[in-house]
Amino acid sequence: MRGAMVLLAVVTLLTGIAIPNAPAQTIDARRLGMGGVITSDMGAASAANIAFRAVPKGRGHHSIPLPLGLIQLASDPPEFDSDSPDFNVFEIADLITNPPLTLSLSRPDPVSSDVRIYVAQDSLSVDLEDLRRIIPESSLRNGGVTHLPGFAVGFRKAFVGISPLVHVQNQLDLEPALRAVLRDAAPFTTRTRYGLGDVGVAQGAFAFQAGLAFRAFHAPVPGQEKDEEKGDGDPRRSGATALYVGAAPKILYGVAYGDLRSLGGATTGDTLLGSGDPVSLDVAARTRHAIAGGDGGSGHGFGADVGAVLYWRNLEIGVGMNDLASEIDWKVTERMHVYDDSLDEFTTTPIAIDRDFTSRIPVTTTINVARRFGVTTLAATVVDAPLSTSVHLGAEMWMGLIAVRAGTYRDANDAWQVTGGGGVRFGKIGIDLAVASHQRYIEEKRAVEMAASLTLY
Amino acid sequence: MRRLMPVVALLAILGTGIAGCGDRSLILTVNVLSFLDPSETSATYSAPGGFPSGTVDIADRSVNLLQGLNDATDVASATLDFAATLDNQTGTATGTLLFYAVPSDTASLFTSIPIASIPISLTPGTITNVSTRVTSDALAEALVSDQARVGIRLSLDTSATPLGQNVQGTETITQLLATVVTKKKI
Repeated sequence: MRGAMVLLAVVTLLTGIAIPNAPAQTIDARRLGMGGVITSDMGAASAANIAFRAVPKGRGHHSIPLPLGLIQLASDPPEFDSDSPDFNVFEIADLITNPPLTLSLSRPDPVSSDVRIYVAQDSLSVDLEDLRRIIPESSLRNGGVTHLPGFAVGFRKAFVGISPLVHVQNQLDLEPALRAVLRDAAPFTTRTRYGLGDVGVAQGAFAFQAGLAFRAFHAPVPGQEKDEEKGDGDPRRSGATALYVGAAPKILYGVAYGDLRSLGGATTGDTLLGSGDPVSLDVAARTRHAIAGGDGGSGHGFGADVGAVLYWRNLEIGVGMNDLASEIDWKVTERMHVYDDSLDEFTTTPIAIDRDFTSRIPVTTTINVARRFGVTTLAATVVDAPLSTSVHLGAEMWMGLIAVRAGTYRDANDAWQVTGGGGVRFGKIGIDLAVASHQRYIEEKRAVEMAASLTLY
Repeated sequence: MRRLMPVVALLAILGTGIAGCGDRSLILTVNVLSFLDPSETSATYSAPGGFPSGTVDIADRSVNLLQGLNDATDVASATLDFAATLDNQTGTATGTLLFYAVPSDTASLFTSIPIASIPISLTPGTITNVSTRVTSDALAEALVSDQARVGIRLSLDTSATPLGQNVQGTETITQLLATVVTKKKI
């Protein structure tokens, strides 16, 4: 039991470390070239701001990303056989945190090294060498809210749909002593607790949604009233003042919920390596769970996506909030798990059965600003997600049928990245390319990727 | 109450398991000298003269090591750096300074084959520094076990010293450092 517990703790630690707060990957080459900004004329933007649904398409486009990275993966796949000397679990983790949809132009060397242990009667140290690079200096948070593809039908300004959503969030904190041992290869010392804490939540639900997005206010530019009334006017470039709003309340059917709050650690005794090497282990965890068809049954709740976008003299200002006030009521089973060091076993104590509990789906807020000057677009976007806030700045200029783009963004790890790209348009079809730096690899060192998209205008 | 070493061993094994390509070795360095009592690292010896073989046991000690390492790794190599100083005051003798290491469940330490054997020659009033580096599979077997037993013995031929006189002096172990390189087995 003790071995299993220690193994679980260490695997949890290393797994958590191995998958840091990976920034999201943008595969639309036009958007990536502009620093990942979101504007109303990007095909997939309505997922960020429901009001974009009501805005005339204008010069908007739909992108079909070309997954160049899959070719690269097929030509040089990582080793999946753990018995092979070339096996490197970090390459697998990199593949997960950095799906091979874009072409990798450069990447950091994979983590690879020996592990050294020095043992003496009054001294013990572990040098993880390369692995020390992945031990975080502060809390390690990962997860987010994912809206999986669903089914939706639109009727003019309204739509109904169903889509699954998954919310997973975890925060792992290493106590300073443990971090120093792992990150700095500091020697273990006597009478010291090497602890860690973990708080995690995971829930899944189906969202049954009905929405409406429409133009709430319109003041056309004098002389263009006719086009605007027909709906042909593009408020992004017409100079008109227009306000579009959208709202989509949703009924949430909770399929499963689970959360964990745990603390654990090992406390050294008066001697590190004496005759008994006394170390006391402590683990305490509180869990709550409910599952459709099982303990507590399904959950039921409500939420909404809302958004608005204002156009004024070709300036676009949009605010979209997804999962606003989204809550699910559950009847959870609550348990306490405590490791008894003297008995070398876990004791599980039920605390409550079918206790009323309300979980929340965190809000994701997207604020975008864009200004069009003839063939030039300047744009900025701030995305406030549950675990991070990213900032995107970008510009695009069309010169005939050729577009040039540049941008920068601050990713989820607060690192600024640089992007650029271009595109060429052939009538209703175009091809876009973008090159961008990123730090999605678990080594958190800068790499360069290239994205390509087929664009339908 | 548990031991720290299983935690460290698991961490290290997992570390090598995920450390990727390259040598991907777990390199265990054990300062065996630090486990010896000061009275063992520097001790006086005395052997009667006129005997072709005699032994002086200098140290016999158990050393706690990494639990579970033996099951999870394959040993690639093991080396021992062994050095000592012998300050011989009286008598003349030849012999060997022996280092033993066995897993703790082995019945007898000093009947096992020594890991290291350093020839020595003692004359009155001389200080002799000796050292050796050996590679040994037996050393590896001992040091990847949960607990090892280590010992030091001085084996002397004092026949060059007349009966009734003693070969006397002080031995000081100056280095006893073992390095085991293992590869992940799991």
